[in-house]
Amino acid sequence: MSLIVAEGISKRYGKVVAVDNLNLSLKAGSVVGLIGPNGAGKTTTIKMILGLLKPDKGVVKVFGQNPWDNPSIRSMIGVVYEKAFFPAHQKMVDYLQRVCRIFGVPESRAMEVLRAVNLDDVSDRQIKALSAGMLQKFAIAHALVHSPKLIVADEMTANLDPQARSELLELVLRLHKDENVAFLLSSHILPELSMVCDSVAIINRGKVWAFGKLTELYEKYAIGIIRVTTDRASKLGAEIKKLSYVKEVASDIRGVSVRVADGKEDDFYEDVPRLARKVKAKILGIETGSASLQELYRMAVSAEEGK
Amino acid sequence: MTNMGKGKPFLEVLASAFHEDYRFPFLELFAFFYILGTFVLSNFTGSLTSASITTDEAVAYSIASSFISGSLIVFIFLIFKNIAYGLGNELEKGIIQTYFSYPLKRRAILTAKLLSAIGVALLLFIGIQISALYILAPDVVLPQLNIVIITYIANLSYPLLITAIMLLITLKLRRGGIGLIVGIILYFAISIVALIAFFVAVTSESPLFLQILSVISPTYALQYHYGGGLSGISTSLLVPWAPTLSEVLLYVGASYAIVASLFALGYIYFSRRLNL
Repeated sequence: MSLIVAEGISKRYGKVVAVDNLNLSLKAGSVVGLIGPNGAGKTTTIKMILGLLKPDKGVVKVFGQNPWDNPSIRSMIGVVYEKAFFPAHQKMVDYLQRVCRIFGVPESRAMEVLRAVNLDDVSDRQIKALSAGMLQKFAIAHALVHSPKLIVADEMTANLDPQARSELLELVLRLHKDENVAFLLSSHILPELSMVCDSVAIINRGKVWAFGKLTELYEKYAIGIIRVTTDRASKLGAEIKKLSYVKEVASDIRGVSVRVADGKEDDFYEDVPRLARKVKAKILGIETGSASLQELYRMAVSAEEGK
Repeated sequence: MTNMGKGKPFLEVLASAFHEDYRFPFLELFAFFYILGTFVLSNFTGSLTSASITTDEAVAYSIASSFISGSLIVFIFLIFKNIAYGLGNELEKGIIQTYFSYPLKRRAILTAKLLSAIGVALLLFIGIQISALYILAPDVVLPQLNIVIITYIANLSYPLLITAIMLLITLKLRRGGIGLIVGIILYFAISIVALIAFFVAVTSESPLFLQILSVISPTYALQYHYGGGLSGISTSLLVPWAPTLSEVLLYVGASYAIVASLFALGYIYFSRRLNL
């Protein structure tokens, strides 16, 4: 059963097209990551899914209903916004108890969720007195109060320290495994998503460029990737791109990820040192094998851009 | 024993909004200074009312309107604060988004916010006004209660109109600053417009501008009904307009129809159009 179905949704802000004919679905019990650069349309997509924005075109269904005018579905959704804001002058535990009453769950649940994010020791603290990291943890506790079947989170780990991030990812995995909670997670921190997601949607310029199970996407875009670590990645990348047998190239600050035509690996290993000498780049390493999610993202974008 | 949450979502959001909008000692100080001000005003205006007004109705109107004038500023300040700073801030920062994660219809969220922003200020204001009038002048107020109520309703119409306009601006811009500026300008502009309308009526011998003004702020129709058109000064000899009480009620009805339409527009916008 699909918990979220978005079909051909579009949203403009004036002349800027934020989301353009986007399709997305999320099945019960799955963990889907939305990845893409700033301004790709991730937050706008999430807001349309949550009924905060009305699509200019297309249809969004969450639990089979239009989220814009069916607030009852929110009883099944937990939400974590990128920037969390709550009524400032209330104590954490008091506000969460209020939220318990809103959702009709036992008030004791407030302390349970605060404990889950390690805020139980400071539960009497006013919300306005929380640090950015604590506020983010509180937002996560707030999303868990009513034991939702689906959690939609926009940059959930923003403002968290590495330890808290790791704990939160463990919590996501536990909720997914033990309670079959589905997640739609958007994040810039791709290694984190690769730890918890079974599928990803790569969003760029308001469109889903690639969507599927991680294994399928790796097979499609990142199998046989050769990673060249170098000190002059952009120049070397530009030269590599000129090679006729190179299918995809994606450069970052530390190196170049390359996919070549079948059977051309040896040619590539021979050509790279020559190109490096040409642009005066130092090759620090060349390795073949499994790509990170970050590399998968770059390769997918590169492949789709080339179409 | 586990305490099961059985609160209604709307009431919980309303309670949360109250908690943010009203915190000690603001209301208590407001009430204290208001009552203090009422006593001062009653002493100040006593000679003015007795000098120019003779009928019981007119005396009741004069006392009620002189009591209301000072405290109306406090009332408006309270509403301006709650709409521009409160709602505007919550729209801008995202607290409204948080409310949108609860199983509540959009209009219920706006109702909770408006009840908190306007409703309590209004109830408090009316409660204190009625109490003060009853304590200070029960012999005048009780027999003429209808006039006192009409005076209050007429006086509150324009502030509510400004509030509705501020609400629309705040919702459209999703921040409160511009709405607040417009509200303050509108609040002070009405006195200048009333002055201009008065002089136009005197020079042209036509009450048209005063009638238009009275649709926006029916308190002027009431003033001219009692012949005190400009700041309590008798104008019946200068201006060819003295609406009957029934006509005044029509102006009150018209002004509230405008106010209701603007609030309805706010609701429609919030429910159907507001993108967060």
